[in-house]
Amino acid sequence: MSDRELIHQYLKNLSKYLSRLSKSESEEVIREIESHIFDAIELQENSGQRTDAQEILDGFGQPRTLANQYVEHLLQGTPPPTGFKAIQSVKKGATKTLYYSMAALGLGVAFILITIGLGKLFFPNEIGVWSASQGNSVIISFSENMYPKSTELLGYWLSPIAVALGAGLAYFTKSVLRVLKQSIQ
Amino acid sequence: MPKQESINEKWDVQLRKGTLELVILAALKTRTLYGLELLKLLHSFETMKITEGTLYPLLDRLKRDGMVKAFWRQEGDARPRKYYQLTEQGKAKLVALTNRWRQSVADIENLIQTPNQHTINPEGASDV
Repeated sequence: MSDRELIHQYLKNLSKYLSRLSKSESEEVIREIESHIFDAIELQENSGQRTDAQEILDGFGQPRTLANQYVEHLLQGTPPPTGFKAIQSVKKGATKTLYYSMAALGLGVAFILITIGLGKLFFPNEIGVWSASQGNSVIISFSENMYPKSTELLGYWLSPIAVALGAGLAYFTKSVLRVLKQSIQ
Repeated sequence: MPKQESINEKWDVQLRKGTLELVILAALKTRTLYGLELLKLLHSFETMKITEGTLYPLLDRLKRDGMVKAFWRQEGDARPRKYYQLTEQGKAKLVALTNRWRQSVADIENLIQTPNQHTINPEGASDV
């Protein structure tokens, strides 16, 4: 391959890999490199050296590698594809809903458990867990009128158990909420 | 043991990574040059023999960053060439980088010349 063909082939390849640039930008890069190559060959000729286009092209490296350096800034910090923002905000919205329902449910149940536990100490006869219908159903109630034929379970043990369960649930809910909060901010 | 030449070459490559921008800005400090001229100028220094494939994309980046401006000029019968010149922003950056470079050289030189004269603060920072 003659020097001229070699250079032509190189620039053609380079142009192909520069296609991400605008046409005018890509042409300007090619024009500058072409100008450099022919200037360098002229310099070799003028100094009486044997002209070596391949040596000059080697200095530029592979067309693809060279082109990458010109286009990489276009690839860095590329805005996300259209629609990505919408997906993000839907995701954020869903997490937000989850956050508040988790808070309401977890803390609500924890509050009820603790209230039952503490309430048992003040109203031992009204609050409690009863087993009715020969053990077929369990009733947690706050009532003066007991379910007929029911037997109370746990007794005063209900108090520490309910408070401990409530506190445990509150702690667990708080931990989950802390994680969820990071993704809605 | 690796040969001294190989050590030198590796060192030059590492150092150039951080200093090439300063080198290019300094080369364009008082004059307007086109790519090949700039390359030949750098090749006249022992430690700055960079390739075409390094120089041109860097010039392109400096232009995008507003450090240099470029324009085409044709002189006589010669083919048009793309010349580079520092912008005001480029001049300011050259001053900043020059100061930083001098500080680095002074610090390293200081350590090399007087390695035992620095008291060491247990908190971490060395007291010079």
